[in-house]
Amino acid sequence: MKNDSKKLYEQRENKRRLNAFPAYNSLNLAAGASLGICLFLLFCAFDFKTGALNTALTGVSMVYLAPAVLAFLVALRIKREILLRGKVENSTRRMGFALILFALSFNVFCGVAGFTLINSGEGGRVDKARSVEYTLSFYAALVSISTIVISSFNVFKPYFSGWFFYGIGLLLLISAFYLTAAFLSNKWARDKTVDKRMLPVAVISLLTAVTGNLFALFLGIVIITKIRYSGKSIEWIDITKRLFRNNMSMIGMFVVTFLLSLSVCSVLTFDYSVATDNNYQAMLLGPSLMFPFGTDEFGRCVFTRIVFGARISLIVGVASTALPIVLGGLLGAVAGHYGSKADNVIMRALDVLYAVPGILLAIVIISAFGTNTMNLILALSIGAIPMYARTMRASVLSVSNNEFIEAARACGAKNYQIILKHIVPNSFAPIIVRATLGIGSAALSTSSLSFLGLGVEPHIPEWGNILKTGSKYLEQHPNLAIFPGVAIVLIVLAFNYFGDGLRDALDPKLK
Amino acid sequence: MESGFLKKNLLKMYSLALYRFFLVILGFPLFAFAFVKYTLQYKGKFSRNKDEAARRLRDAGEYSRLETEIRGQLERKNSFFNKAVSGDKFDAELKKIVKERFDELTDLEVSGSAAYSESRTSFISFFCGLFDNKVFLACSVICVLMYVFVLVFANPYVKHIFERLVMMFFVIFGVTILVFTILHFSPMDPAKNILGMYAVPEQVEEFNRVYGLDRPYHEQLLDTFKNILTFNLGKSFVGSEDVLGAIMRRFPVTLTVTFWSLLIAVAIAIPAGIFSSIKQYSVFDYVFMLFALLGLSIPNFWLGYMLVLNFSINSHWLNAVYDVNNWTTLIMPCIVLGTGLSASVARMTRSSMLEVIKSDYIVTARAKGLSQPKIILRHVLGNAMIPIVTVVGLQFGGMLGGAAVTEKVFNISGIGSYIVDKQFIPDIPIVLAGTVYVAVIVSVVNLFVDILYAFLDPRIKSKIKSY
Repeated sequence: MKNDSKKLYEQRENKRRLNAFPAYNSLNLAAGASLGICLFLLFCAFDFKTGALNTALTGVSMVYLAPAVLAFLVALRIKREILLRGKVENSTRRMGFALILFALSFNVFCGVAGFTLINSGEGGRVDKARSVEYTLSFYAALVSISTIVISSFNVFKPYFSGWFFYGIGLLLLISAFYLTAAFLSNKWARDKTVDKRMLPVAVISLLTAVTGNLFALFLGIVIITKIRYSGKSIEWIDITKRLFRNNMSMIGMFVVTFLLSLSVCSVLTFDYSVATDNNYQAMLLGPSLMFPFGTDEFGRCVFTRIVFGARISLIVGVASTALPIVLGGLLGAVAGHYGSKADNVIMRALDVLYAVPGILLAIVIISAFGTNTMNLILALSIGAIPMYARTMRASVLSVSNNEFIEAARACGAKNYQIILKHIVPNSFAPIIVRATLGIGSAALSTSSLSFLGLGVEPHIPEWGNILKTGSKYLEQHPNLAIFPGVAIVLIVLAFNYFGDGLRDALDPKLK
Repeated sequence: MESGFLKKNLLKMYSLALYRFFLVILGFPLFAFAFVKYTLQYKGKFSRNKDEAARRLRDAGEYSRLETEIRGQLERKNSFFNKAVSGDKFDAELKKIVKERFDELTDLEVSGSAAYSESRTSFISFFCGLFDNKVFLACSVICVLMYVFVLVFANPYVKHIFERLVMMFFVIFGVTILVFTILHFSPMDPAKNILGMYAVPEQVEEFNRVYGLDRPYHEQLLDTFKNILTFNLGKSFVGSEDVLGAIMRRFPVTLTVTFWSLLIAVAIAIPAGIFSSIKQYSVFDYVFMLFALLGLSIPNFWLGYMLVLNFSINSHWLNAVYDVNNWTTLIMPCIVLGTGLSASVARMTRSSMLEVIKSDYIVTARAKGLSQPKIILRHVLGNAMIPIVTVVGLQFGGMLGGAAVTEKVFNISGIGSYIVDKQFIPDIPIVLAGTVYVAVIVSVVNLFVDILYAFLDPRIKSKIKSY
């Protein structure tokens, strides 16, 4: 019995010591995720009828097996080092560079693990030193590198955009800048203070945020805020820090940012005509280097179409979430603040919207006003209004009882001032979380409606549209249906993971 | 009926505005009689008393005293907030406050006097008193509906359900207006779509006349609402199908698929959610929650195609097209439709179980020496059930909508795919009726969930009972 409790204590103590090093957790995640992807690809490569392996897919799966093994070995090694000596040796930290190289095969997990490992604290000691800036810059670098990797598949095409090399060159420069920023922030950025010399880094990274790199945008804002309020703790930066502790939610945000960056950069590096012009020499081809995901019945490159489809999904997702937030948020705030009659009227009216299933309402609206993107956004927004109104109302009700509202009223603030200045900002956290999850489900509904022929116009490369054409050739060319579906799952999954992480980060109980 | 019981409920009902309204309507003859009698007996007495009191107070200089006092207060307040201390606006505000205060004062004065309590015998207690009169009681039989209404009110559960039904009625009314308005103001012209581009104006006119599309908005709306309530939906634009028959043929199909997928989803999700909340941070927990999140992120129709690809095209295990007589064809649609639901139910089960497990009374239960299964099933699950039931209820509506997509994939002739097929014209009677009846079903399910709350949570039960 005594032995048992001692063992339990040791186990917990070891766990606590290992958890002090985020590198250990992210290495385990990298090993597990890489192995998972490898097994999944092997499963896809295996033909159950003939029992043969598809060589190309097997090759790709091996590219994921190697980092899995490497990450596993490194994880074992730092576990031993942490438990025996309480620090990570420099030689082990250098292995992080090898892991980063695997990020080129679009293995984000390894990239993150590599960057985290390299920066396992000063001299490899207890890991408190890692600053938000470092994390933000290496995520920004990973986004930009992945964009380059995906864009460079265009090299195999017979012709590509005239701006292609400029675009790639620019992205390479930007990636190099992010890596430098990571190095610099390791040197100059601390928990609550940042050296003034980081200011140019902040300005440049704000400029590079034009490529759609949200991490760079955050990096710039964080540095400038920290320089301005040096030494103080700022709430939203603390929230960001908590968010970064959750690897999966950060990878969710990475995928979102990557898709955003890819859609912005595709202006330079991708040729829209490849996605929309018919090419009767290349109809219904299988995957190859020239057409990584094959071609559809009009000879259009599915890969390019999917890249351009990300744009629509993001635009529709964001627009059809922003609109109901504003409308539903206002209605909810008014209902919650004024109570009694206003509350009853607004909420009963919204009950009507709530009774009709969202998709069905969207079908009715679109069928009445015609199939186009604007109507689609409108239809999805109207269905989502009650949800945001209810969320807002609930949090307004809980905020309204606070003393500071009473104080504001005693100072003679008008009702609308109280709502807009005091109540809404203080009850926005649940709305933000809902919105993140909402963008994902809006993307899902968009593709469902497009599939029914009710979403985006059929000639526009949108994921649901691509899938619809793919579904006609399910028997002979399943790849046409598989890849756009994977893209949809990826974006929705990313938003869901990010939303989950955000909820945990914003939850005051988990501080 | 015992008269005490009747009086108690009548008094209670009369104090609630909506109930008062319906009570007066249902028992109109009785109320009219009582009102006339009441006015003759008491009217005038009270207001006479009040006027008298006001005059008395004014004579005693109360009014001017009040005015000076309030003027001082208002001046101090306005000067603090840097506002004007004289002028029209100031005077108006002053007058308003003084009048209010003076009224209060008069009321106080009147209520002190002996005549007051007599004159204030309220109308409703007077009305209740009438029931002691045997003749009145016998005559009151003409208003049987009022008695039924009182009986409904007397039982807390029946009252709760009744209120929800009334609310549901209004929701359905709202849904009808909403959908009808959307379709009415649509720029799409069913006549043009059905008769073709080259139809002469006379033909279009004739079409609109036959289907009543040329009548004004409110007439059509009223008609529609009447038709929906009486299940008399007329003929569809295309093919002159009987709309009600067509919808009633398709509803059972959709409901079968939805019901089975709901059952399977809940049967898988709740045990899995319980298990991963007990073994938090275990491998099972991580893997299962990954699958749950994946289930939330997968588009219905894509999952459908992937299943068809693997189990129908590649391995010929299941038939890809739904057949009523072959239950194995139901497997794939149920999985597709149930995935989203089971994912959200499993996540909700896990999170609400975790919340309860951390609470103090579970520690107490453990300290009392209860066995683990008993704690989990009786104490934790029992208390965590409310959010789970809520999610199931909410998701059911989503499932009925999502069924439209799934039905298209598996070629099921359900209500969703029927609406989708007919909306291109748009065949207004079918789209309207289909949507409204789906909304009715969603509302009924929500009502059912609401009643279920009362049985699951004693707090809600006692809230329903106390009114």
